[in-house]
Amino acid sequence: MKNTIRIERAIKNITQAELADLISVSRQTINTIESNKYVPSTVLALKIARVFEKPVEQIFTLEDTD
Amino acid sequence: MKPQYLFPSWTRWLGLALFLVHLPVMHIWNIYHLHSYDDGQLFNLPHLFFIATVVLMVLGLFLIAFSREKIEDEQIYQLRLSSLRWAIFANYLLLIIALIFTNSKADYKDMLRLNLWVPLMLFIIIFRWKMFRLNRSLKEE
Repeated sequence: MKNTIRIERAIKNITQAELADLISVSRQTINTIESNKYVPSTVLALKIARVFEKPVEQIFTLEDTD
Repeated sequence: MKPQYLFPSWTRWLGLALFLVHLPVMHIWNIYHLHSYDDGQLFNLPHLFFIATVVLMVLGLFLIAFSREKIEDEQIYQLRLSSLRWAIFANYLLLIIALIFTNSKADYKDMLRLNLWVPLMLFIIIFRWKMFRLNRSLKEE
């Protein structure tokens, strides 16, 4: 699964730490999600989507290997 | 995030203090050969001393292992679970090896003692290592 969080953050102009605060997780978690090392739970994905005011599918997309 | 059954984060330092206190107490036990005064009664001096040291150690390790991180999120929870799994794997491997290489004359109390702290200690080491790697990945960015 890949995601566009880094791009969305750039558009909204917020840092990893600010996004982490908004959805009350650690900065490490945002960082590992962005670098595709960690797959967030559905709840967390929905929270991230709510911050960027976009549907989840626009931020998280499946890869061929999934 | 659902509430988890973890202790507040300051109990980690309490746990560490308890564990460190247990070391000199254990040393006194060994120096003065307190176990030689053991007459087999329940709650005699050596027994109380033994309880004190073991309880200090186990409680200390327990608090260190199960105290909350400053920000406890789902990824850390996942690291906890996988660390616990590896700790249990390793512990049972050790237990099976110990069972194979002990005969009936062995002191089974030693195996009990080993099992008292090995799973917790392994869990703490593996979990801390995973947390260290997670934090390092942040610094590399």
